Amino acid sequence: MDLEHLEKALAASRSDYTEIRLETRRTTRIVYHGRRLETVSTVMDQGGIVRALVHGKGWGLSTFNSLDDLDKRVDQAYQSASVVEARPITLAEAEFGQDEIRAALDVDFRELPLKEKQTLVGRYNEMLLDYPKVVDTQASYADQFVTMTYVNSEGARIIEERPQSSLYLVATAREDGNVQRAGDGLSTAAGHAALFNLDDLARDVGQRATDLLSAETVVGGVYPVVCDPKLAGVFIHEAFGHLSEADFVYSNPAAQEMMVLGRRFGSEILNVYDDGTLPGQRGTHKYDDEGTPMQRTPLIEEGVLVGRLHSRETAAAMDEDVTGNARATSYRYPPIVRMTNTFIAPGSSSFEEMIADIELGVYACDAIGGQTMLENFSFSAGHGYMIRDGQLAEMVKDVVLSGNLFTTLQHIDAIGNDLTLSRTGMCGKGQGGLPVGTGSPHIRIQGVAMGGR
Amino acid sequence: MDLLATLEQHAEQAEVFGIESESTQVSFEAGEIKSSQVRETQGVALRALIEGRLGFSAAGGRLDVEELVENLVASAHFGEPLDLHFPAAAAGPDVTTFDPRLAEVPIARFVEIGRAVVARLTKADADAKVDVDINRTTARTHLQNNAGADIQHEVTGFHLSASVERVRGDDVLIVYDSFSDIGLSDDYEDMVERLADKVTRAGRSAPLDSGRMPVIFSPAGAPVLLLPLLMALNGDAVQRGTSPLQDRLGDELFDARLTLWDDPTLSGRPASASNDDEGVPTRRKALVQNGMVETFLYDLKTAALAGAESTGNGSRSLFSPPSPSTTNLILDPGDRSLDEMLAGIERGLWVESVLGLGQGNPISGAFSNPVGLAYVIEKGEIVGRVKDVAIAGNIYEVLQEIGGLSQESIWVRGRYHLPYIMLNELNVVRSS
Repeated sequence: MDLEHLEKALAASRSDYTEIRLETRRTTRIVYHGRRLETVSTVMDQGGIVRALVHGKGWGLSTFNSLDDLDKRVDQAYQSASVVEARPITLAEAEFGQDEIRAALDVDFRELPLKEKQTLVGRYNEMLLDYPKVVDTQASYADQFVTMTYVNSEGARIIEERPQSSLYLVATAREDGNVQRAGDGLSTAAGHAALFNLDDLARDVGQRATDLLSAETVVGGVYPVVCDPKLAGVFIHEAFGHLSEADFVYSNPAAQEMMVLGRRFGSEILNVYDDGTLPGQRGTHKYDDEGTPMQRTPLIEEGVLVGRLHSRETAAAMDEDVTGNARATSYRYPPIVRMTNTFIAPGSSSFEEMIADIELGVYACDAIGGQTMLENFSFSAGHGYMIRDGQLAEMVKDVVLSGNLFTTLQHIDAIGNDLTLSRTGMCGKGQGGLPVGTGSPHIRIQGVAMGGR
Repeated sequence: MDLLATLEQHAEQAEVFGIESESTQVSFEAGEIKSSQVRETQGVALRALIEGRLGFSAAGGRLDVEELVENLVASAHFGEPLDLHFPAAAAGPDVTTFDPRLAEVPIARFVEIGRAVVARLTKADADAKVDVDINRTTARTHLQNNAGADIQHEVTGFHLSASVERVRGDDVLIVYDSFSDIGLSDDYEDMVERLADKVTRAGRSAPLDSGRMPVIFSPAGAPVLLLPLLMALNGDAVQRGTSPLQDRLGDELFDARLTLWDDPTLSGRPASASNDDEGVPTRRKALVQNGMVETFLYDLKTAALAGAESTGNGSRSLFSPPSPSTTNLILDPGDRSLDEMLAGIERGLWVESVLGLGQGNPISGAFSNPVGLAYVIEKGEIVGRVKDVAIAGNIYEVLQEIGGLSQESIWVRGRYHLPYIMLNELNVVRSS
C-alpha cells in the first residue's frame, strides 16, 4: 500500500493522535516428525490496526483484515476512543521522520525452491534418526517475510521489512521406559546461509538425547549453581526483565516502590542491558512499533537499578525518556512494553575459575521452560552436570531451579567473561510469541533450590 | 468463481473453511477504563487430497485465489499419503451457541459492568491493581467440501477476565480468572466473588513444612492433574506412539470415582457445536468412565493414521490444519460437600495454581511444580497463603486412589467443568 493512501486516511482523522500500522506476512513451514514429513505449507496474512487517542478520552483501536476502506477504520478508532472516559493519557515526545528499511539477506529464502528447503530439513532430521536410541524427532523449519508500514499523525512514515528464518531440532531417545528429549535451533534475520551449516548442532542434539538416557535425576537440595549463557539469558529475561517493563509499575505505586531506581539488586559485578540496536539479533529493529528508534537501555549497573523500558505512554506517565520498547506481535495487537535483546554484561571470571572452588554443585545448561509469578520463578534446565571438587562430573537430568528473584540476584557471585547471545528466543507476554534476544556469560549463583522430587 | 469448484479441478477431494468474526472489547487498567477496540477478522483455509496426498494453505485478509491454490498444490505435492475422506453432509445434535440479544447490548453496558467488577475487587483490597477486559464476539465459520458438507456455524461469546495484582514490599500476589458464556447474564458475578475471595484469603501468610499430606486442588488448580491425562488421551499422541495410554483402552487405571466427559453437545457453551471444524457430527463421550480408559480423541487425520474413526474433535484456527482437541471437559462431581472434605483435613495444602504448568515431561504423567497460589489448611480451615513450596508426583500413581471429589463443580477457563479434587497424600516440598 502506498504512503499517499495512508496519509490521506490520517489527514481525515478526527482524533488528536492517530497511527496506522499495516502488515503483510508470508510464512512457509516445513515439519518432520520422526520419519514423516508432516507439514509443508505456506500461508499469507494481511491486515492492519488503527490506534487513536482523543483528548479527555482513552485509546480507540480498530483491527482489520480488509484494507479497502482505511477512512472507515480511522473513524472506527475515533468512535471507539470517544466512548472511553479515561484519565488523561499523554505521549512522551519523540522524533519522527521518513525511513525505509529493506531486508538485506545473505541468501534470500523467498528465492529458494521449496524442494531445496525440504531436502535440507530432511537431512538434519536423518542425522538425528541415525542415533540408534533416538526413536522420535521433530525438525521444524519456518521462514517468514513481514513488510510493515507505519505512519502516525506526528510525522512518522516508516516502511520496514522484517525477515526471519529458523530451524529447530528435537530428538527423543528411549531405552525401555526411560524417555529423554533434547533440542536446539537457530533463528536469524540475516537470511538462509547460516541454516546450511547446522550439522554440529544436529549431532549435538542427537548425542545429548542419547546421553541423557544414562543420566541420573539430580538429587534435590540447595547447591551453588553455574548457569550456562542460555539458561542465564532466559533467567534474566523472565525473572528480572519483565519487572523492568514500565507497564508493570507505571500505574501501581506499590510496584514503583519495589522497582525504585537506585535500589540495589545485586553485587557490583552485575550489569544488565536491553539493547535493540545489536546487529543481527532477534529483538533488533531500527524502530519500535510506535516509530520510536530502538536504543541501548541500561537496567542494572554495578548492581543498582538504573533504568526501565518504556512506551511513549509509560514514559510520559513516569516523566522518563522513551526507550523504543513499544512492540506488537502483529497487526492484531496494539504495541505494549516489551524487551528487545536483554542480557547480562560480561564480567571477568573464566569458567574454570567459577567451578574451581565448588565442592559440590550443579552446572545447569539450557532452558526448556520457565515461569515466573513476578518475584517467584521456576526454570527447567535442559540438562546439567554435577560439579565435584572443582571439576565437572557426571551428567544429570530433571534440573529444575526455583527461588525468589531478589535473593537469587543478590546471590550471583561470579560472572564470566564469555557473553553469548541466544540464537532462539520468543516472549509470550500478553499477545503470543514475539522474537526477543536474550544473552549472558556463564554466571554463578550461591544457594539455589533444585529439584523437588 | 466458486472456490470449491476451482479446487475440485485440481484435487480428488477438497475442502474450504472460511472464518469471519467481529469483536468489541473494553479494557480497564488499574481500575480505570483505558481503551475500546473493535476487531474484524476474515480468512480462508483450504485442504485438498491430490494424488492421495493431503495439502493445506490459508490466507487472512485479501484473497488472492491463484496464489492460495498454488500454495495448496505445492503443499499437497509434499503431503503425506493418507486414506482420509472428508465427510458428507451429516446433521449433528441440535446445539445452541448463538444468542442474538448479545449483539444488541450497548458498549455503555459493558463499561458499567467493568466498573462494577472493578469496584467489587477493589473492595477486597483497596491497594491492589485491578485490570478487567470485557469482550463480545460474534464468529461465523463456513465449511464446504466435495462430499457435500456445507455447514455454517455461528457462535456468540461474552468473555470477562479480571486480574488483581498486589505488591507489598517484595511480596507479589497476582490472581486471575475468566468467564465465558454465549450471552449476557449476571453469572459472571460468581467468578468475581471467587476472585475476591482469593485476594482476601491470600492476605495472610502461613508456614508449611515438607511432607506427605492431603492436598485439595480447586477447579482452577486441577489442570496440573488433568493436563498429562488429556495429552495422553489425544489421538495425536496415540498415533505417534508417545501416549502412555496407547494399549490401555478398557483398563481401570484410575480411582472408580473418576468419570471424565468430553461434551460438545451442551447448549449455551462457546466451545459447543453440532459438527466439528471438519464437518464430523459431534457427540458426548466418556474419556474415562469409573476409572476405566474409554476413548481417545481423534480428528480425521489422526484417526486415519491410527486406523480409527474421528470422534468429532477436529479443531482449527485459520492458519493451522485441524488437530484433535477437547471441547467442554466435564469431571463428574462427588458425593461430599467441599466443607465436609475440608473438615477432615488436620494439616494440608489447597492448590489454586502452580508455576510452570506443562514443564518437564508431562506426557509421562509426572509433574513437579512450585505452587503459584496455595493455602495452608489447618484443622479443616484455610489459615493463609504459602509460597516457596512445590508439589510433585505422577498422575498415574496419585489418581489410582483419590481422597474424594466435591459435590460442587465450577466452570473454569470457559470450557472445564470441574469439582474440587482431593488427594489423601501428595509430596509437598519446602524450597527454602
